[in-house]
Amino acid sequence: MYEPRIIAFLCSWCSYTGADTAGIARMKSPANIRAVRVPCSGRVSPELVMRAFDQGADGVLVLGCHIGECHYDSGNHRAAKRLPILHSLMTFVGLEPERLRLDWVSASEGERFSRIAEEFTGAVRALGPIHWRVSPDERQPASPELVTAHEAIPFPEADCAAKTDAIRRKARELLASNQVSCVIGYEVSRRGRTRPVFIYTPEEADCLVWNPDCTNNLTSYLPARLRPIKGKEPPKPIAVVVKPCDSKAINVMVAENQYRRDQVYALGVACEGIRDPGGNMQTRCVTCQEAVPIVCDTLIGGTTSSFIPRLSSYAREEIDELQNATPNERLEFWLGQFDRCIRCYACRQACPLCNCPECLYERDDSTFIGLGIGLNEKRTFHLGRAYHLAGRCVGCNECERACPMNIPIGLLNQKLTEEIEAAFDFRAGLTITTSPIVTVLSGEYKEG
Amino acid sequence: MSKSIADKKLWLISQTELETWLDGIANARTLIAPRLVSGIILYRQVAKSKEIAWHGKTSGLALVGRPLLSVKEIFFPPTERMFTIQKTGQEIYLEEKFPDWETVVFGVRPCDARGVKLLDALFLDTNPVDTFYSRRRENTTLIGLACKELGPTCFCTSVGGTPDDAHDMDIMLYEVEGGYLVEAVTEKGRFLIPGGEWNETTASTKQLTFSGQFPVPEKGKWPDHFNDDYWMKISERCLSCRACAYVCPTCRCFAVRDEMLAAGEFERIRCWDSCAGENYRRVAGGHKPRAEKGERLRNRFFCKFYYYPEQYGLGAASACTGCGRCIEVCPVGVDITEVLIGLEKSA
Repeated sequence: MYEPRIIAFLCSWCSYTGADTAGIARMKSPANIRAVRVPCSGRVSPELVMRAFDQGADGVLVLGCHIGECHYDSGNHRAAKRLPILHSLMTFVGLEPERLRLDWVSASEGERFSRIAEEFTGAVRALGPIHWRVSPDERQPASPELVTAHEAIPFPEADCAAKTDAIRRKARELLASNQVSCVIGYEVSRRGRTRPVFIYTPEEADCLVWNPDCTNNLTSYLPARLRPIKGKEPPKPIAVVVKPCDSKAINVMVAENQYRRDQVYALGVACEGIRDPGGNMQTRCVTCQEAVPIVCDTLIGGTTSSFIPRLSSYAREEIDELQNATPNERLEFWLGQFDRCIRCYACRQACPLCNCPECLYERDDSTFIGLGIGLNEKRTFHLGRAYHLAGRCVGCNECERACPMNIPIGLLNQKLTEEIEAAFDFRAGLTITTSPIVTVLSGEYKEG
Repeated sequence: MSKSIADKKLWLISQTELETWLDGIANARTLIAPRLVSGIILYRQVAKSKEIAWHGKTSGLALVGRPLLSVKEIFFPPTERMFTIQKTGQEIYLEEKFPDWETVVFGVRPCDARGVKLLDALFLDTNPVDTFYSRRRENTTLIGLACKELGPTCFCTSVGGTPDDAHDMDIMLYEVEGGYLVEAVTEKGRFLIPGGEWNETTASTKQLTFSGQFPVPEKGKWPDHFNDDYWMKISERCLSCRACAYVCPTCRCFAVRDEMLAAGEFERIRCWDSCAGENYRRVAGGHKPRAEKGERLRNRFFCKFYYYPEQYGLGAASACTGCGRCIEVCPVGVDITEVLIGLEKSA
């Protein structure tokens, strides 16, 4: 008979002792469970859970102290926030929901431990062996595609000369008055491609442009340029041209202390949408209602309004389509997508919020991911990255745009954005606030 | 590699004949050809010729654009297992498995074939010979297809190639009125051609003449530019991703590591790496000799036009084949042709 292998992360103070209590009372617990003793359920990072599945676990059980009883006050608050998000992410890419469970067991609740362990093992056993880990030698990947197809909306004619003029004028003024050391904007290359440009003198301002191809999120250059360097003068403020979606990244970065708000001069441009290379409206722009940047020191080409736009998901139909599929179909879909990944990290590098000095998934000594460009590693990287952006992603979708291999990475971010919004009523970047999943629980928490 | 044929023979075949021929190849061997995968074209295995990304819906003539990844990935895959290690008690067993299946690649563009030739300089012509690469090279036949025109980012004519260059192929196809001209370039290629069934012809394969568009500074001039401020200036927008290196037909850096498969079981893998990555040149103790992204981007261009040709004796040739993929995939518009123009100006 098939017996599942289950990894249980048990909090040393409550659940591990609870398991002990069950043993002392001679209660029966399934032998499938391999216990990993951790100092706190808050110590169980998503990487550990993903690693367990990557290494062939059939189920992962995370047990901590009841809320309010944490030995470290709020460690289990983090588990209570993180695990559900991870759960929805992993089920979204094809893990059966029953295979990952978070629950609470105190030191005296031997009976409860025994019951949960029994229940969980039974549920996982009923599912049969897991198909999560892929052996690259055996797999000939199919590439199932989504049925949902967005209607191509031809890009409307736009008059950008006035905005271009206004950007140049303001840039000249800021540089001449020495308010900023550099202006990051857009220029058109010799080949006719719109791309980022960095200007340092008022004379250079004439190369700045605004047009419907200004797709890059220029705030991704800010953290590295504004980081103070020991023994050197603190970096001078930088002006940056931002679209409404881009501007929200500034709020997130300021909330995370990557730079101060006064170090950035935001040249906000009222945006009517951005074009894709085919001349149509980019998908992210179709449903976007934000015409005016939220973070803005000078507004170009629009009127400031107190209207807080309805935030909408540009991937609603795709997410629904995947949600309605079976876990196995979802798994196949995503493996087919990740299969194309070449680990070039363009998504991460283009992201305004991926700002770790050294990526967890690129460290030579990373125990969470291998060096190979194989399916397991690629999936771990993308899921890990999506998780790290939960509650932080502002939806500029530059990751997906930068991807040379056409992988719909944005779907993962959108899915988590929706989850976060449903759970915490929070959207990243609207105010200077950190992600709700890195803070403690507020208000009353209901178990289960 | 396979000897080239002295007296060149040409055949004229129709699209149907071509498809029948490819179907036959696909039955007997592994056929790899440009295929549409989720909106992009890649060199992938095809079971029949219908799966190939032809122009138009009904098996139209010629192929749609060149694949996004170069043919390099067939000879030098993103990840390769070099051997497995098994440890039982005090004893250690190593097991190697070499790629030994016969592969035919159809629809190779001249720039890609030249890329393979350039990789040969390192993997085949320099000791020690790379066994994995050489096995794949021996077992693979390249069927090329001449490009009829230069694509928007192509500049092969500036770096010594032409869109109909048959030199580095085994078989070359030229699209002509009513079908294709087939030229057997090497013995290996001749072996695949069902001579009797096809009509021989004496038509000329030269159809168009192209001229170079971009100046490429001579190899000897490159060292003078090493300390130019130019590199820091152009690299400002660079994101230090590795897209350019991984789509490049001639970027061939790799990293090697042992990884655990199960208790007592390990594998040694090698996988693509790129000088654009911050950790690429890190040494013990943590020092990074190329800490600035300008230095890393400079290295990429020096490697293409100076280091690699110098180290592997390419003569006046550069290690860039002008396929233009790096221009196409760069998320921020770094443009190799612009760099060449910029250098020429500053000289």
